[in-house]
Amino acid sequence: MTESPRIDGLLRRIRGEVRRRRAEYYGVRGAFWGAVGGVAVLLSKHGIGSAAPWIAVALVIVGAGAGIAYGLARRVALADVARVADRAFGLDDRVATTLEWAERPDRTRLVDSLVADTIARVEALEIKRVVRRVVPREGRLLAAPVLACLLLAVAPPIPLPSGRLPDFLPSGEEEREERASSSMLEETSRPLTKDQTKRSSFEERDFAQRAGGSGASTTGDLSAIFKDTSLASQRPDFNSFMKKGDERLRMLEQVDRLPDLQSDFTNNQYKMVYRKSKALTGGLRPDQISPQKLRELLEEMERLGRKGGANWSGDAMEGMEALEGGQPDRALDAMQKALDKMRAMDEAQRSGKGLRGGRESDRSGRGRDRARGDGAGPEDQDFGEGEGLMPGRGRSGTPKGEATQRLRANPYDVGVEGESRRGRKDGYDTNLTGRGGSMASRLQYLGVIGQYRKAMEDAITREQVPRDFHDQIRSYFQALDER
Amino acid sequence: MNRDARVEAFVAAFEALRAEVEKVIVGHREVITHVLIGMFAGGHVLLEGVPGLGKTLLIKTLSESLELSFSRIQFTPDLMPADIIGTNIIVEDADGRKHFQFQHGPIFAHILLADEINRATPKTQSALLEGMQEGAVTVGGASRPLPAPFFVLATQNPIEMEGTYPLPEAQLDRFLFKLRVRYPAIEELNAIIDRTTQSRPAAVSRVVNGPAVMSFRELIREVPIASHVRDFASSIVMATHPQWEKAPEVARRFVRYGASPRGAQALVLGAKVRALAEGRYNVSVEDIKAMATPALRHRIILNFEGEAEGIDTDNLVARIMENTEAATAQSREPFLR
Repeated sequence: MTESPRIDGLLRRIRGEVRRRRAEYYGVRGAFWGAVGGVAVLLSKHGIGSAAPWIAVALVIVGAGAGIAYGLARRVALADVARVADRAFGLDDRVATTLEWAERPDRTRLVDSLVADTIARVEALEIKRVVRRVVPREGRLLAAPVLACLLLAVAPPIPLPSGRLPDFLPSGEEEREERASSSMLEETSRPLTKDQTKRSSFEERDFAQRAGGSGASTTGDLSAIFKDTSLASQRPDFNSFMKKGDERLRMLEQVDRLPDLQSDFTNNQYKMVYRKSKALTGGLRPDQISPQKLRELLEEMERLGRKGGANWSGDAMEGMEALEGGQPDRALDAMQKALDKMRAMDEAQRSGKGLRGGRESDRSGRGRDRARGDGAGPEDQDFGEGEGLMPGRGRSGTPKGEATQRLRANPYDVGVEGESRRGRKDGYDTNLTGRGGSMASRLQYLGVIGQYRKAMEDAITREQVPRDFHDQIRSYFQALDER
Repeated sequence: MNRDARVEAFVAAFEALRAEVEKVIVGHREVITHVLIGMFAGGHVLLEGVPGLGKTLLIKTLSESLELSFSRIQFTPDLMPADIIGTNIIVEDADGRKHFQFQHGPIFAHILLADEINRATPKTQSALLEGMQEGAVTVGGASRPLPAPFFVLATQNPIEMEGTYPLPEAQLDRFLFKLRVRYPAIEELNAIIDRTTQSRPAAVSRVVNGPAVMSFRELIREVPIASHVRDFASSIVMATHPQWEKAPEVARRFVRYGASPRGAQALVLGAKVRALAEGRYNVSVEDIKAMATPALRHRIILNFEGEAEGIDTDNLVARIMENTEAATAQSREPFLR
């Protein structure tokens, strides 16, 4: 307690109010359960006799009394009471702070001022009831058992069930019936319990398999059951879940806010791609996605991966290939794989950021180059499809862009030389020459093979290739596929 | 009401400073209040907003209304740490003997305006770190104390990102508050036009001196805080950590790193100044709520999803606060809510 009788009085008053409300609350709960007990007693009035109504009334009273006693007896922390007072009278936590700090040995002069201020404010208060009444769930249902008690009290006693059916048959017939019914139960009980776990269609399939099915699948083999049902072709629609999530996220955004500086700094192309992919796939099924947009996105991802030397360009290429082959779901899977890799790389870069002394862009000094007005270096340039940097131009010696385009532009860039090898089996030893020969391959085989096959088909269609060679070329590509 | 004389003096000084700044600056009342709170709490403040909103003018006006030394550094990419801290130069005395003499840099001032702080390199930005945290700088192995009170007000703008160096998290954490300067409303814009194009600029008087600021800083630390209010502040800070078992869903989903203990200190100190500025002797839950956004918005680092989805940290802090409040209320008995 504090040194102010006024504050103490306020706290005592609120504490009493809390106790009263608690007593009401638990009293109603106690009365409800007492009434439920009373109903049980009155239901067995037949056995208990004329004392049953009195017992029921006593139960209700005892229940309510016990609840009230419990509510009154429960401890009310003074700090909690102080907080209630602060909230109820708009005292901005003055009472709670005063209560806590008034007795502390390290109280400062400011605490004295606080105590004086709180006392003055409390004295100016108009005291009112502040603790709200809380009606328990049982309170809303209390009328039901009480009414039931009243009805049962005035109603004649209900005879208790004896546990046997009334005797309608002569004794001999009864025994026969009993035997017959028990034998029928024995016959039917086992299959019935089993049937409950299966749908009728599965049951029929099960019988069919038993009758003439293949020996590979057994009766309990569920995979065999599912193999040729319509369920096999169904896929979970996760996009609808993603869409719901997007809607919730949009609530977080403000339209009229200024751009957040930190997030602007850390925004990069990966996140742009991520956003685009989310926008593309949000709430749609694979067959509803625009192939053109998906292709553009995959191309962008592939280019981004190629530029940063990342490992997702192969996935993006695979996705493009799948899209060409009319498999949008496979393309989406590939895109998701690429996104996962992209995200993992970004997370890894950010994890090591502090140790390496700044962001990637700072370390490479590109910001300084731009500030000096040098413009972006060739490494920074973003290339369109097939617009790679030609070898020997610019400061970077790293060739970029599509390999086919580069080769077409400069046939001396990469060459193949070879010499015949004699032995048990004749053959050729070949070497790559030129700039390309000294560099590791930047294109993944699976990623480009689709493009090459398409180029081959185009060439054949446009009759750039002699007709006699068509089959030979096709069989070559077929052999590659088989390998 | 019985008022402590020191509190009276503080409230008067606070109001006088605000009035002086408002003679020049139209609107931005909340920003001005938070800058003053930051100064009296003994912290440093970062102001962010597009060019032309009066960030620099606000700080200059504040320095003019305080009897304190002021220096301004315009951060540029070629600015070096020695340009901020100072350097040892060789001087020759009357006997012709040469010795090193320390040439003080602009950091040796009470109020330092670091204009467009994100335009300098991280190396130069970090030259401010020691000064901001310790109130001293080390040059040539010797530690030199900075004048007290020492108050850094930095500005940065979120556009023209070319050639800028984002402040690293460690540097950001040194700032007590990060304030966002918004566009003025149309009435405020009209007042700006009238005030700046018709009459002569208003004269600002010096209303508070350095020793007064220092004594107010001590007074602020005396402000009592109830344990449940302190618990509420720490719950908010903890709720920004996605790893915390009671962290709300929004933090788990979008936050990579939550606020540091410095964030909790900033929250409580800011709340104490706010309480005292309102003539109150204790910190209330409302003070904590009012200070949560400026104290925590720059201390929360979003994860990949958060950045990709463009989550606003102000919104995030508001959501975390709501969740924390609801959870605190839930944990109490219905009669005591």
